[in-house]
Amino acid sequence: MTRRELILGAGAVALAGCTSRKATAPRPQMVSIVRAPAYDQRIYDTVRRMLADHRLDVRGRSVVLKPNLVEFEPGSSINTHPMLVHAAYEAFRAMGAASVRIAEGPGHRRNTLDLADAAGYFHTIPEFENVFTDLNVDDVSQVHLARQLSRLGKLYLPNTVLGADLLVSMPKMKTHHWVGATLSMKNLFGVVPGGLYGWPKNVLHWAGIDESIVDLHSVFPRQFALVDGIVGMEGNGPIQGTPKTAGVLVAGSDPAAVDATCCRIMRIDPAKVGYLRLAAEGGAQIAEAGIRQTGERIASVATPFALIPFFRNYRIDGPMG
Amino acid sequence: MAIEFLLNKQNPDGGWPYLHGGSWTEPTVYAALALLAAGETAQSKRGIAWILRTRRSDGGWASRPGVGESSWVTALAALIPEECLGQAAHAGAIGWLLPVQGEDTTAVYRLRQWLLGSSSSIDRNISGWPWTRGAAAWVGPTSMAVVALEGEHRRRPSARVLERAQAGRNFLMAHTCREGGWNHGSTDAWGYDAPPYPETTGMALLAMNRVRSPKMESALSMGRKFLTETRSADAQNWLRLGLAVQGELPQGYAAPQGIVYRTVPEVALSHISALGGLA
Repeated sequence: MTRRELILGAGAVALAGCTSRKATAPRPQMVSIVRAPAYDQRIYDTVRRMLADHRLDVRGRSVVLKPNLVEFEPGSSINTHPMLVHAAYEAFRAMGAASVRIAEGPGHRRNTLDLADAAGYFHTIPEFENVFTDLNVDDVSQVHLARQLSRLGKLYLPNTVLGADLLVSMPKMKTHHWVGATLSMKNLFGVVPGGLYGWPKNVLHWAGIDESIVDLHSVFPRQFALVDGIVGMEGNGPIQGTPKTAGVLVAGSDPAAVDATCCRIMRIDPAKVGYLRLAAEGGAQIAEAGIRQTGERIASVATPFALIPFFRNYRIDGPMG
Repeated sequence: MAIEFLLNKQNPDGGWPYLHGGSWTEPTVYAALALLAAGETAQSKRGIAWILRTRRSDGGWASRPGVGESSWVTALAALIPEECLGQAAHAGAIGWLLPVQGEDTTAVYRLRQWLLGSSSSIDRNISGWPWTRGAAAWVGPTSMAVVALEGEHRRRPSARVLERAQAGRNFLMAHTCREGGWNHGSTDAWGYDAPPYPETTGMALLAMNRVRSPKMESALSMGRKFLTETRSADAQNWLRLGLAVQGELPQGYAAPQGIVYRTVPEVALSHISALGGLA
């Protein structure tokens, strides 16, 4: 047994009470939807309450927050908002986490710290550089994929995320021109090190995008998802789309269930999103009946995100309620 | 200041990290070249010794030791002067680069796309390099491979090297953005134009040394525009290098105040660009 396998095994036992790794038979997963009308000071309290609802016990654990940093456009809705990331950072610290780091490996631009600076992270998060890891150039270890749907074969991933007791995926709620929607599962492309695989991380595309998303997801059994849907992106996302206000935060310990809920809020049929369908085939719970929804009802916050023509058949038909 | 930063960042094994941690090939090449240019030969030699130790049996280099596959960084190793790297290692790097190409530019892939009606061309004279084998060709690795092969051709004129470098330039020319300059590779997705980026535009300008055409005029115009606008250290470095070889860098140009040079590649390339370039 390698050191990494030992750490993973020990961590899985220790955190069994605060995570929800799926067994073969799906069981109801809790996903919370909370209204958040703006990026303002209220977010700090909102996030604290959301995490408390999920009864995460991170006392003495290491937590890594993985936002979605993509482009240099401070006024746009491309990147996860820094205030939300700071709110999560403060909340996990207040919950007793031994360490909280923010980590990201952008897939388009190499100058990660410049990108974070332009996106407002330096301004919003005190001593940002000391709590941030650029996953594109972090030290790496080889991992064996728990599932093997893609043609990825062996994969090297950053030690910062491999060593985390809890990986918190914090995507922006966006449409995506290759897969339909990019949410907490697709956000994990950002943990694949560009230093090894390049910019963009094209190896994931050649190995099958949907399949790579599911394979990568399987590497991290201890996840939590917190989706920035306050202002998302519609149309030609994930970069060239237009801002879309949804006014919600969506969270849960099962990223597939969280993403399926986000899709429904975006009026996208999750069963048509390739990687969610694959995840469901592997036992993930994406059916609405199998997700225990708390907070707002989907119907009360759903708002159709514009789709490019290729994905128009992904639209959920019928009334929103 | 830059040299002191690089000296302080050198790992005990002789290589350099990007910022912290273990040594990687890319920052080690740039740091070694910058120190070599600065006359800091002892530390540079330690860096080059690290590069030689990490050379793989196929003649190439992996992005970092322990990763079992040679990659695009082999082109960077080939930028180290042959008299420093050694003739055999240098020839091995060039030998590794010559046959490598993006999956999307292989004859089999092109033929398949042509048969499917997805492509109107099966032009074998357009061929770029991938970041890693088994993936598509992109502007960044293609640019660095072209620069390495062009240097080799200057030292030892070779029709094969020249032909491959030209195929790489053709790839770059075929992938210019509509508004000028280069994205990572794609010029559009689903009919939406892809925007050019300053870093990749600078890298491609470096590889398109002395090439002139209407597309190049547009790319140069974009490069000059980016140079005045960008506050990214990485972008400033590549634009300076690219515009300098094109004879388009304003005389006595100095990067704007307020640009933060944080990583080893950023600091090293800043020094190299100030001294006149990689080639």
